[in-house]
Amino acid sequence: MAELQVLLQHRNVPGIDGIDVYESHGGYAGLRAALGKERQAVIDEVKASGLRGRGGAGFPTWIKWNGLPKSGPAQHYLLCNADEGEPGTFKDRELLLKLPHMVVEGMAIAAYATRSANGFVYVRGEFVESATQLRRAIDQAHRRGYLGRNILGHSDFCFDLHIHTGAGSYECGEETALMSSLMGERGQPRLKPPHGPLPVVSGVWGSPTLINNVETYACVPHILTHGGAWYAAMGTQRSPGTKIFSVSGHVARPGNYEIELGTPLTELIDLAGGVVGGALKAVIPGGSSVPILPAEKCAGVTLDYEGCQAAGTMLGSGGFMVFNDKTDIVALMRRTAQFYAHESCGKCTPCREGTRWMSRVLDRITAGAGRMEDIDLLLSICDQIDGRSYCPLGDAASWPIRAGIRNFRHEFEHWVRHGSSPIPGFVPPVRSHGPSPVPGRQE
Amino acid sequence: MVASSAGRFSEAGLAQLTEIVSHYPDAGGAILPALWLAQREYGGWLPAEAVAEVAARLGRPASEVQGVASFYTMYNMQQRGRHHIEVCTCLTCGCLGAYEVIDRLEQLLGIHLGQTTPDGEFSLTEAECLNYCEAATVVQVGERYFGGVNAGNVADLIDRLRGSDDCTPVSLSNAIVEAIVPGRAGATHG
Amino acid sequence: MNDTKLVNVTINGVALQVPKGERIIESARRAGIDIPYFCYHPRLSMENGANCRMCLVEMAMPRTGPDGMVTLAKHPKPQTACSLPADEGMVVETETEATVKARKGVLEFLLINHPLDCPVCDRGGECPLQNNTLHYGAGASRYIEAKRRYPKAYPLSEHVVLDRERCIQCARCTRFTQDISGDAQLDFLKRGADTQIGTFNAEAFSSLFSGNTIEICPVGALTSRHYRFQARPWDLATQKSICTECSNGCSIKLDHRDGQVLRVNGRVNEAVNEEWTCDRGKFGLPVAISGERLTAPLLRDGDRFREVSWDVALGTVAEKLQRAGKQAAVLAGSKLANEDLYALQALFRGGLGSTRSGYRLGGQSSEARDVAAGLFGLNPMPTGIAGLEASPWTLVVGSDLAVEQPIVFLRLRKSWRFGKSKALEIIPASAPGKTHVGAFAASSVRYAEGGLAEALRRTCAALLAANPGLTASQEVLAWAGSAVQNDGGAARRMAEVLATGPGAMVVGERALAGPDWREALAALGHLAALTGSSGSVNRLVSGCNDRGADALGFVGGELGVAGMLAGAASGSVPALWIAGADPVTQYHDPQSVIASLERAPFLVVSDIKLTATARMADVVLPSCSVAERDGTFTNVEGRVQRFRQAFEPRGSASPDWLIAARLLQRLGKPSVWFGWQDLLAEMRAHVPAFGEVGFDALDKDGAMLVATQVVD
Ligand SMILES: Cc1cc2nc3c(=O)[nH]c(=O)nc-3n(C[C@H](O)[C@H](O)[C@H](O)COP(=O)(O)O)c2cc1C
Ligand code: SF4
Ligand code: FES
Repeated sequence: MAELQVLLQHRNVPGIDGIDVYESHGGYAGLRAALGKERQAVIDEVKASGLRGRGGAGFPTWIKWNGLPKSGPAQHYLLCNADEGEPGTFKDRELLLKLPHMVVEGMAIAAYATRSANGFVYVRGEFVESATQLRRAIDQAHRRGYLGRNILGHSDFCFDLHIHTGAGSYECGEETALMSSLMGERGQPRLKPPHGPLPVVSGVWGSPTLINNVETYACVPHILTHGGAWYAAMGTQRSPGTKIFSVSGHVARPGNYEIELGTPLTELIDLAGGVVGGALKAVIPGGSSVPILPAEKCAGVTLDYEGCQAAGTMLGSGGFMVFNDKTDIVALMRRTAQFYAHESCGKCTPCREGTRWMSRVLDRITAGAGRMEDIDLLLSICDQIDGRSYCPLGDAASWPIRAGIRNFRHEFEHWVRHGSSPIPGFVPPVRSHGPSPVPGRQE
Repeated sequence: MVASSAGRFSEAGLAQLTEIVSHYPDAGGAILPALWLAQREYGGWLPAEAVAEVAARLGRPASEVQGVASFYTMYNMQQRGRHHIEVCTCLTCGCLGAYEVIDRLEQLLGIHLGQTTPDGEFSLTEAECLNYCEAATVVQVGERYFGGVNAGNVADLIDRLRGSDDCTPVSLSNAIVEAIVPGRAGATHG
Repeated sequence: MNDTKLVNVTINGVALQVPKGERIIESARRAGIDIPYFCYHPRLSMENGANCRMCLVEMAMPRTGPDGMVTLAKHPKPQTACSLPADEGMVVETETEATVKARKGVLEFLLINHPLDCPVCDRGGECPLQNNTLHYGAGASRYIEAKRRYPKAYPLSEHVVLDRERCIQCARCTRFTQDISGDAQLDFLKRGADTQIGTFNAEAFSSLFSGNTIEICPVGALTSRHYRFQARPWDLATQKSICTECSNGCSIKLDHRDGQVLRVNGRVNEAVNEEWTCDRGKFGLPVAISGERLTAPLLRDGDRFREVSWDVALGTVAEKLQRAGKQAAVLAGSKLANEDLYALQALFRGGLGSTRSGYRLGGQSSEARDVAAGLFGLNPMPTGIAGLEASPWTLVVGSDLAVEQPIVFLRLRKSWRFGKSKALEIIPASAPGKTHVGAFAASSVRYAEGGLAEALRRTCAALLAANPGLTASQEVLAWAGSAVQNDGGAARRMAEVLATGPGAMVVGERALAGPDWREALAALGHLAALTGSSGSVNRLVSGCNDRGADALGFVGGELGVAGMLAGAASGSVPALWIAGADPVTQYHDPQSVIASLERAPFLVVSDIKLTATARMADVVLPSCSVAERDGTFTNVEGRVQRFRQAFEPRGSASPDWLIAARLLQRLGKPSVWFGWQDLLAEMRAHVPAFGEVGFDALDKDGAMLVATQVVD
C-alpha cells in the first residue's frame, strides 16, 4: 500500500479546475451513471463502496443518505462541510481550489439520491480563493445542465447549489453548529439524539438535511463511475478506499498525500520526504483533536480507522503533523489548549470554563510557575470536560492534552521542576493567552 | 424581504443583498452574508449602525444580529488597520517560526499584537490555524494568504503592502512570490 | 382528549408511566426525585437550553440484538435530564457515583470564575448556585488563575443591573426576551469564556417585562435597582397577593419587612399570569403604596387639617351623610376591593337610600357598554385570558395590547409561538411604529383618528370578497360595499385569516371611547357575526377592580360621575364621598374637577395618601393599601381572586369596608361583618354575579363571576 491517487490524480493537470478539462478527464461521468440508476441503487452503490465520512468521525456515508425520507415532500437540504478548521488539515481547501467540479459533481449525485433540491456549501470564511473557484465551478456546471432544473434532462431532478461563507469559528465545522450558522445564528450546536431529531429527519429550517465533508462528496463521482466494489477493493476491509492526509510540520515535502487506507504510518512520513531538523519525536495523525503518538509508538501503526484506534489515537480528519525532537511538547499542548479555549462556542459550562482553565494552567507552567499537582489537575479537568459537554468540541479539547501528559509526562515534570523547557535553548513565546483579540474584540 | 429603511448600503450592495436573501428560505438565514456585505459597505468594520441596518433590512432584532456578529472573529466590531495582518501561530506554524515572524513584525511596525499602527495602515494579530499548514508560516492579510513567511522575508511583505493603495495587493516581491504556496500566486478574485 | 402516549420509564429503580417525550427532569420531579439544574425552565425553549450541564444523569435504553434478545444499552456519556425525552423502556439513574461526580465537576467549573461575592449579593440566601454549592461544591478551590473581571453593577435600565462576573451563561434571560416577551432585547455577545449577555449597542433594556429576568436568573447577575442592597431574603416575610396596577389581576408575592413592600415577585397562576409579571406591576406597585401615607383621620380647620380621632371624624361624616340622605353620593376608585364596594353600596343604598354611586371606567360611556353587552353578551371577556391560547385567531382592535394589558398580550404571543393562533390587529395610526403584537401579527391595519368603523367596514368587505360563500343580509352587504385595494394587502391578508372560521377579538378600552363608538360597535358587530365570533368579543377594562365595580352596580348609577361632580358644585349633592380615587389628578379635565369640588358642600375622601383630591376634603379618612388588609378583586375576565394582608395598617388606617361598617353602625343599622369573608358571603347571597364565588376556588385560580344583569 502506498500513495494511490484517486481524487488527486489530476490535481496538477492545467485547467482541471475548469469544466472542459475536468470533463475530458472523466468528469461528470459519475453523475451520468447515477442518473441512469434508481435513486436507491445509487445509495446501494455507496453502501457497496464502504465509504466512511472523511470529516473526522468516519461514519458510514450510505447510512446517512439512506436516512432521509424517501417519500413525502422533498424539501431536503444537502450541505457540504467545507469549514475545514481542524488544525493541521488542508485537504478540503485544496480540493475546492483545484478540483471544485469533483465536489459539485459529488453533491449533485447525493442530491439525486436523496431527493434534495437545495444545497449549500459552507465554506470557511478565510478560504476566499477556494470559494471563488467553487463559485466558478457552480456557474459552469449550471450552464452545462449539471445543476439547476431538470438536470441532464431528468424530469424529476432539480438541484440548486449555493455558497455560504463562514466568518471565523472552528466550532461551525461541527455539523449542528454549522446548521445554526447557516441559518444565520451564532455558531452553536443544536440538540441531537436522544434529545432532538437527527439532521436527516429534521435539520436546517426543520427539513431533512444531509451533511457530508468535502472529501466525502469528492469520493462519490469515482464510486459511481467505477462501482462501489471497485472502491471497496482499495484500502482495508473495514476502512475501504483512499484518504487524503495533509502532512505538515518537520518533513521535507509537506502537502496533501492521498494514500490507500491501511498504509503504514511511517510510509506516509517517507512519502513526505522524511523528518527534517532532527529525529522523529511525535506524530499527531488526524488533526489537533486526536491524541498525540510518540515516535516509539509509531512503528507498526497503519493509517486506517481501526489501526489508529488500536494505537490509541484516531484517524480524524487526516491532519498529519510531524514533530522532530526539537519540539517542546508542553508548549505544543499549551498552544493546543489555547486553540480550543479560543474556539469554544461558550454554550456549555464544561467546555467554556474547562478549556480556558486548561489554557491558563499551561500558560503558567510554560511561564515557569508550574506546580507538580498541576499535571494531575490538568488530567482532572480533562475528565471533567470529556463526555459532558454539549458537543464533541469539549471532548476534542481534552483528548490531546490527556494524551500529551500520558505520553510525555516527564516533559511536564521537567517544566515544573526547572521552570524551563527540556529542549535546550527553547524559549516559549511570552504571549499570554493564545490569539490576541482582534482589536475590535476587546472590551 | 430586504426592507428599504435608511442606511448606508449602496445600490449595488442592496442588489446583492436581495440576491443573497433569495437563496434562503427566510431572511434571517442571510445574516452572515449580510454582515459580510455590511462590513464591505461600511469600510471594513461593523459599527453599531451597520449592525442595525442589517437587522432592519432582514427584519431581525438588532441584539440578535449583534450577538451573531460578535461571535465570529472575522467580523470587525471596531475599526482596524487597512491591512489586517494575521499570523498563524497554531501547531505547525507555531513550530516553524511563526513567533519569530511576529517578533519581527512587532519590530517593523512598532506595535504589539492586537494593536494598529498610528497611521492606520496595519493591524497585527495572531490567528488560529489557517489551514495552509503545508506552507508554514502562513500569514493572512485581508482576503489573501501568504505562505513560507519567515523572519527574513516578512519585511518584503510589509514593503509591498505599505505601497499598495488597496487592501488586496496585486503583486509581490519575488522573494515572497517564490515562497508563496504553489498555485497561489497570481490567482484572481471576483 | 389527551392523545399523548404513555411510556414506561424507570428512574432510580422506580417504575413510572409518563407521557412520551416528557423531559426526564419533569418525570423525576413528579416521582419526588430532584435533579439539580440551572438553565432548565419549563416555559423556556429547549433550543438554547441544556447548556449548564448540571442535570447530567446516566441513561440506558433497551436494545434488541440480532438474536432477538433485549438488553439494556447504557449510553456511554451522561445525558442532560432537562432535555432528555422519556421513551419506552428508558432507564435513568440520577444519583450514581458517576452522576454526582459529573455534577461536582460542572459546579466547580461554574465557580472558578464566579466572584463568590455572596455576602454582598442580593441573590444570597435564595440563589440556586449557592444552594447547589452546598450539595456539590468542594471545600477549597483548585483554581488559582486570575478570574474573569468585568465592571460590577452595570445598569441595563432604570430597573435592572447586570453583574457579568456572576453570570453563568444559562440563557434564561435571553430566552425569556426571545421566547416569552418577544422583544428579544437581550442576547449573548462574543463567545467562549468571553460570552456575556447584553442589549444591542448597550441601549437600555426597555422591555415591558424586564423584571421577570431578575426572577429567573439563577444567580445574582441580574438584580433589581430598587431592591438592590435593601434586604436579605431571610429577613423578608412574604405574602400572597394580587397586583393592582391593571385589570389582569396577576398573582404575585409581596416580599416585605417592617411594613414596607420591598419587592414584588410573580406567583404561579396558570389561568392568569402563569408566573410572569409586567414591569408596571412589579416595580410600580411598591412605589404606589410606599411613601408618605395617611395614618390618622384629618379634619379641615380653615386652610389646614387637624388630626382627629376616628370618633370625631366618623361623627362628622355620619352627620353630614344622614342629613344628605338619598342625595348623598359616593365615587369609588379602581383599587377598592369587592368588599369595599359592597359595603359602600350597603351604606348608601341600605343606610341612606341613595342610589348615587359612581365609578369611572376608562373613558367608555355606560351606554356604549350596554350596547356592546346587547351585541356580544353580558360577559365582557367571554374568552378569558387562558382561553385566548386556544383561539385559532385573535384580532386586537384599537389597542397596543402589550401596554394596555401586558399579560393578555403574553398569552396571545405564547399561542402564536406554539403555532396555535394567528394574531391580527386593527389599531390607531397613533400607536408606536411597530406594536408588540405587530411584530408577529399576520396582518396589521392602521386607522386614523375616528376611522375605526371604516377600517372594520373595509375588513368586512375584504372578508366577503375572500369568502363569497358567507351569508350576509342585504343590509350588511350594502354597508360593507366593495373591498379596497390600496392598503398594501393588509385587509386581504387579514380577511384570509378571518375566513378560516370563528376566532376571538380583543377590543381595547379606548377603542370604544371616541364619539364614533356607535358606528364602531355596529361595524364590530357585523365583523363578529360574519366570522361567527359574536360570542368571543372581549372588551377590555383597565382598572384593577373595574369588573367588580360593574358587578356591584357602581357603573352607570343614577348620576354618573359627571353628574356627581356637577351636583357637588350646584349643591344638589350635599355630601360626597370619594373613596380611593383622585379625580383631580386622574381625570382628563382637572380644572373643572377642582372647580366642582371647591364648591362641594361636604367632601369626605378616603385614601392611602393625601392626594390632590384629599387636600380639598372636609374630612380625610386613612385607608389601607392592598398590602395591609384582606379582600378580593375581580379581574378583567370576571375572576374573583383573594389577596392577603402582609403587614399591619399604618397608624389607625382602616379598609374602606370597615369605615362603611362603622358609619352604618352610627346610622343605627349595624352590620354583621367581622371580616372580608362575611362580606363575600353576603355578596354570594345577594349579588347574583357573585352567586358562584366559592371560598375554595379563591385560593386556587380564583372564582368566576356569573354573567348577569346587574340588579339594583
Ligand atoms: C468541533 C468539531 C469541528 C468539526 N469540524 C469539521 C470540519 O471542519 N469539517 C468537516 O468536514 N467536519 C468537521 N467536523 C465533523 C462534522 O461534525 C461532521 O461529522 C462531518 O461534517 C460529517 O461529514 P462526513 O460524514 O462526510 O465526515 C467537526 C466536528 C466537531 C465536533
Ligand atoms: S444573566 Fe442570569 S439569566 Fe442571564 S445568562 Fe447570566 S446567569 Fe443566566
Ligand atoms: S438544567 Fe439541564 S443542562 Fe442546564
